[in-house]
Amino acid sequence: MSETRPDGDADGAALRLDLPAAPEALDDVHDQLDLVWERHDDVSVADRFRFLTAVMEILGNVAEHAYRPDVRAPQRRLELVVTVTADELVATISDNGVPVSLDLSTVTMPDEDAESGRGLALALAALDDLDYERSGDRNRWRLQCVRRD
Amino acid sequence: MIELDVTTDRGIAVVVPRGRLNMVAARQLRQVLADIITGGTSRIVVDLAETTFLDSSGLGALIGGLKSARQAGGDLRIARPTPEVMTVFTLTNMDKVLRPRDDVGSAFDV
Repeated sequence: MSETRPDGDADGAALRLDLPAAPEALDDVHDQLDLVWERHDDVSVADRFRFLTAVMEILGNVAEHAYRPDVRAPQRRLELVVTVTADELVATISDNGVPVSLDLSTVTMPDEDAESGRGLALALAALDDLDYERSGDRNRWRLQCVRRD
Repeated sequence: MIELDVTTDRGIAVVVPRGRLNMVAARQLRQVLADIITGGTSRIVVDLAETTFLDSSGLGALIGGLKSARQAGGDLRIARPTPEVMTVFTLTNMDKVLRPRDDVGSAFDV
């Protein structure tokens, strides 16, 4: 299961989770982020929701697209680290899946009758900055929300 | 983490998702909407008043239901989203396609 540490750990992270890269883990992350807002109740509801939306979309994307079908579930792991400062909310998500062949600058919202393909576009719309890099044998996403209110 | 209540009255089905409409819940919503339409009801209101979260999968399930309902001669309408859930519709430009109604009972009046 997941592991969490209180605020002010060695890296100043508000949340640090090591969890299965699977859709079923999303509720766990959602619960843990709710606890983060209890400790940081000065973060506005609008900022929380933008950030939560983007985190869920990137985690969902990793769970659905980062692994070859032959990689068994127990081998699919990701790490989520969240930091909260007076100015911004930042999440880094790293996974042990295959490299993402994607240019974020070309991501657009699909046609209105499309039933999928909105995840990354929604994350980009919710965030102030989204970066992806391949680092060693891991994918690493960095999500930033500048606090607005 | 979600409850999907369905009631049908005078040919209109009302679906109430209670909780988070995320990737896991979206699969359930898709199935519920498909079952309603297969069962012969093509006018559907999804009451979002108690939906605390919506992601792109949940949005996709709503759009899938909308398309199926229209193909069956009906429509799917959403009602009473919270301001937070509404931001997902506006950020994806889906607020024009799934225009939120203020009231469940009158969602099909106009």
